[in-house]
Amino acid sequence: MIEIKNLTKVYKLTKKQMAEQKTKRNIKKAADNISLSAKKGEIYGLLGPNGAGKTTVLRCVATLLNPTTGEITVCGCDTVKEPKKVRESISFLTNEIKLDPQFSPKYMFNFFGRLHGMDDKTIDERRELLFNYFGIQDFRDKKINELSTGMKQKASIAVSLVHDPEVVIFDEPTNGLDIVTARSVTDYLKLLKEEGKAVIVSTHIMSEAEKLCDRIGIIINGRKVMDGTLSEILKETGTEDLEDAFFELYKEYSKEEA
Amino acid sequence: MNGAKQIIKKELTRVFTDKKLVISLFILPAVLIIGIYYFMGQMQTAMVNEIEKHVSTIDIQNVPEDFKETLASLKFDAHIQYLEPDEDLTAVKKDILNGTTDLLVVFEEDFLNKVSTYETGGVIPEVKTYYNNSEDYSNAARNNFVDTVLSAYQQKLLKERFEDIDQLTVFRVDVDPESSVIVDDKKAKGKIFGILLPYLITLMLFQGAMSLGIDAITGEKERGTMASMLLTPLNRREIVVGKLISVSILAGLSAAVYAVSMVFAMPVMVSGFGSDSLEGLSLKFSAVQVAELLVILAVMVYLYVAIVALASVLAKTVKEASAFVSPILIIVLVAGMATMFSGNEEKSLGMFAIPVYGNAISIQNILTGELTPVQFTATVGGTLLLAVILTVLITKAFNSEKVMFNA
Ligand SMILES: Nc1ncnc2c1ncn2[C@@H]1O[C@H](COP(=O)(O)OP(=O)(O)O)[C@@H](O)[C@H]1O
Ligand SMILES: [Mg+2]
Repeated sequence: MIEIKNLTKVYKLTKKQMAEQKTKRNIKKAADNISLSAKKGEIYGLLGPNGAGKTTVLRCVATLLNPTTGEITVCGCDTVKEPKKVRESISFLTNEIKLDPQFSPKYMFNFFGRLHGMDDKTIDERRELLFNYFGIQDFRDKKINELSTGMKQKASIAVSLVHDPEVVIFDEPTNGLDIVTARSVTDYLKLLKEEGKAVIVSTHIMSEAEKLCDRIGIIINGRKVMDGTLSEILKETGTEDLEDAFFELYKEYSKEEA
Repeated sequence: MNGAKQIIKKELTRVFTDKKLVISLFILPAVLIIGIYYFMGQMQTAMVNEIEKHVSTIDIQNVPEDFKETLASLKFDAHIQYLEPDEDLTAVKKDILNGTTDLLVVFEEDFLNKVSTYETGGVIPEVKTYYNNSEDYSNAARNNFVDTVLSAYQQKLLKERFEDIDQLTVFRVDVDPESSVIVDDKKAKGKIFGILLPYLITLMLFQGAMSLGIDAITGEKERGTMASMLLTPLNRREIVVGKLISVSILAGLSAAVYAVSMVFAMPVMVSGFGSDSLEGLSLKFSAVQVAELLVILAVMVYLYVAIVALASVLAKTVKEASAFVSPILIIVLVAGMATMFSGNEEKSLGMFAIPVYGNAISIQNILTGELTPVQFTATVGGTLLLAVILTVLITKAFNSEKVMFNA
C-alpha cells in the first residue's frame, strides 16, 4: 500500500535556520535514502528521537513535500505524478496541521467531507460513527478554540478520517494526550488495521511502538538503520527490549554524522 | 468548482458568525463615517448660526451728522457707541484685542465738509476701521459694516454730488451672470464629485482587501489551517479561486458599506457648508453608466485582492505580509491621487489600460459622462490581464512547498 523507495529529502537552510541548528552547511538531509513498505492490515511504526526525520518522511508520503530523490507510491499511485489520487486515499494527521479554531468540530467535519466530494447523507453517517466512537458528540457544536488539547486532537482525528481512507498516516498521534485519550486513539488504530487499512504512525515512545506496531522502522539522523517485527529487531541487536535495542543502534549510528 | 464554492461558503460563514468581525468590518465604519460627518456638520452650522446671532459692538468716532440716518434706514442691528472727537483710542483698541469690542470706525475730522468741498486732484477723505481679524465676531462685524453700511452711505453721498449716479457707470459686464455660463451641467457636477470619489473608492477597496486577504491567507498559513485544505483532493487552483472570490465579496461589501454611508452622511455635513459641494450627488446615471461602473469596480476589487493575496502567500507571518502590502498601498494611493491633479488634457488609450491609474480616470470619466466604449474595454482588459497573471502566480506559489511549508 505504501512503498517508499530510496527517499532522500534535503532542506535548504536559511541563515537563521543554520544558526538555530548550529550547523555551517546550508543544507539539511532530513531523510537519507530511506526505503520501506507498509501493507494492508498492518501498523508500521516509525521510531526515532526528535529531529530524526519522521515528520519529513510522512509529509512526503502525504504529498505535501516532494522527495529530493527517490519515489513514493500510495495504493499504486505516485505521490508526485498523481498527488490528487493519493490525497483521496489517505488520512494525514500531524500536530502542525490544525482545524480552523473559529468553527465547531461538526462544521469542520461536514466541510472536509464536502471537499472530498461526499454527499450529505454519507457525511452524516460517518460523523455519527466517528463522533460516537471518540465521544465528540458532547462538544461537537463548540468552537474548536474553546476545546481542550485532548478534545482538539479527537476532533482532528475524526475529521481526518471523514472520507474513510485506505491509508492512515498519523504523526505522533498520542503526543500531549492523557493516558485515557491516548489509549482510545491507539485502540482505534488497531480497529483500522482490522478493517484492512494500511496504517503508518510515528512515535518516539518505546512502549507505544512495542505494543501497537506490527513492524517497526528505527530512524536515526534521517537514516533508517533497521526495520522488522519487534522480535526480529530484538534478535538482530541481541537485546531484551526495544529500548535497549534502540540505544544499541543509537550508539552505533549517531556518531557517524559529521 | 464545487470545492471553491464550499470554501467561499466557509469564509463568508466565518466572517458573518463572528460578531467582532462584522462590527469592525461593516458596522463600525458606517457608524463612524456618519457620526463624524454629522458632528462636523453640526459644528459648522452651530458656528455659522452663532456668528449671525451675535450683536456687534461698534465704536464710531467723528460720526457725520447724516450717518445716523443711513444707519436707521438700514435697520442695522448693533450696539453702537459714539466717541468724542478728542477721545483717546488706546482703550478701545485694547477692547478689540481682547474681544469685548468688535469694531472701531474713525471718520476723518470734518468729514462731511471735506467731502462736499472736494475738487479734482484734492485729498480724498478717509474712513478708517480697526478690527481683529483673528476673531470671527470682529471679522464679521467689519465685513458687514463695510459691505452694507459704508457702501450705502457712499452711494448716498455720491447721489448728492452727481444726482444721476448712473453717469458713473460707463458699461456693465454680465447683467445676468447665470445666462453667461455655458457648461454641460452634468459634467460640471460630475467634476467635483469625480475628483474625490475614485480616490476614496481605491482607498476603501484596498483597505478591505488588505485586512481580509492577509488574514485569509497568511493567517491560515500561520495557524496551520491552510495545510489541511492542501491535503484534500481539491485542485490548488480551486483553493486559490475560492479564497480570492470570498475575499473579493467581503472587501466589496465593506467598501459598499463605506460608500453608502458616505452618500447618506454627505448631506448632513454639507448642510453646514452651503449646497454647492452637494451638487455632484444629484447626478443621474444611465443604466449603461451604472453597469460600466460596477464592472470597473469588480475588476478593481479582483486586482487588489490578487495583489494582496500574492503578497500574503509569499509572506511567512502576518506581520511580514503587512510589511509587503503597505508599500503597494502607497503606490495605489499615489496612482489614485494622480488623477486628482492630472489636468484636463486628453488621455491616450494606453493610459486607460494601466491598472489602478486607468481605473481611476475611467471612473472620473463615467461621472462626467464621457467614457467611450473603447476606453472602457481598455481599462477592464488591462486590469483583468494583470489580475489573471497574478492569479497564475498565486497558484504557482500554492503549489510550491518552499512557499507553503518553508521547505
Ligand atoms: N522546513 C524545514 N526547513 C529546514 N529544516 C527542516 C524543516 N523541517 C524540518 N527540518 C529539519 O529536518 C530534521 C528532521 O525534522 P523532522 O522531520 O521534523 O523530525 P522528527 O519529526 O523526527 O522530529 C530536523 O533537523 C529539522 O530541524
Ligand atoms: Mg515530528
